[in-house]
Amino acid sequence: MDLGGILLISGGALAAIAAILYIDWRVQHKKPAETEPTIPKAAEPSRPAQGISQIAREDVEHIFNDEFREELRNRGRLHFEKIIGENAMFLQQDLRQTTTQLNEYMRTEITRTLQIEFKKYEQSITDAKQLALDSIEKTVTTIEQQRQLLESQMQNQAETQRNQIIDRFEAQMARIVNHYVMQAIGNQIDLSDQLEFILGELESNKAAIIEDIKHGS
Amino acid sequence: MARSIPVKANVFILPPQVNGRTDINRLLRELEALEETLITKAAKDNLPSKITSLLNQTALANGYKLLEKTHRQHIAQQLTKIRDHAPTVHISFAAEPSPKVTETLLSWLRSNVHRYALVQIGLQPAIAAGCVLRTPNKIFDMSLGATLQKQTPYLLELLKTAALDAPGPGTIAPAGLPTGQVGKP
Repeated sequence: MDLGGILLISGGALAAIAAILYIDWRVQHKKPAETEPTIPKAAEPSRPAQGISQIAREDVEHIFNDEFREELRNRGRLHFEKIIGENAMFLQQDLRQTTTQLNEYMRTEITRTLQIEFKKYEQSITDAKQLALDSIEKTVTTIEQQRQLLESQMQNQAETQRNQIIDRFEAQMARIVNHYVMQAIGNQIDLSDQLEFILGELESNKAAIIEDIKHGS
Repeated sequence: MARSIPVKANVFILPPQVNGRTDINRLLRELEALEETLITKAAKDNLPSKITSLLNQTALANGYKLLEKTHRQHIAQQLTKIRDHAPTVHISFAAEPSPKVTETLLSWLRSNVHRYALVQIGLQPAIAAGCVLRTPNKIFDMSLGATLQKQTPYLLELLKTAALDAPGPGTIAPAGLPTGQVGKP
């Protein structure tokens, strides 16, 4: 049953209740003069007839006196109340059933909608999570690559710097030692004592000296 | 008529006291002055007393007599020729060399390299010991610094050996001695 059917049933029940209440109101507010039986004037053809009519009227009034009318009214009211009660019970049952169905329908619809929304939300969360994981994985990969590159560069730079320091140390150390030796003994050696060394060096370079002098002069 | 005295030496000998062009120029100027003196002087048999020993040695080494004009001219010609054509080498020392050192080197050069080799003495205190000889196109560094520089690989080898033999920071000291006393007497 859809929502339109439920609303149609509810509308019909409310219309029935309204009709019953209107009829009851009309019965209770009817004028007593109207309730009295009217005797048509055309029914008085003559005096005897008028007497009979008068008697009949009196008998009618005697039969349908106020107590009888009250009795009838009470019966009608009770009957009406019974009908109203029964209808109200049916209406209540219908309303309860309708309410139950409506609640069930609403619960089902809400549940279904919520489930759909939850599925969408869950899918969105899953997508976002996957995107975040992908992004984190890419970031981790990039960081790892950068780290490896940096590590390689730092190792190369450290190796280069170490070699430079060693080379510089060796060169400077040799220069320092040479400078120290020359400073220590340079002024202590007389040129006469160096003659043998100088002549030896000249002898070892003799050919080159002669060659250069021959070609240079 | 002037007497002509034959030249005793066939080859002009440049005494080792004559080092370079400066000395030769000085000798040439002295010869010119002597020539003028002898021209103006009335008595030509005695030499003036201010003749330097360098000129005297040059004349004696070659058997010339300075009173003879032709000998003086021959000496001047030879000196001029030597000045203009003789090779010159530049030798730098750490300090001013003594004449003995200069003469020894010149003797070696003139006996081994060129008969009339001339030298120009320079000073380079940085070379400490030895000398630096510069020919027209080359430099022969025969100093102590160059010798030490040539021995640099050997020095580095010694340094590396010493560094490898040195005890490391984690060296365990012998029993009864703290670490700081390892190797000490």
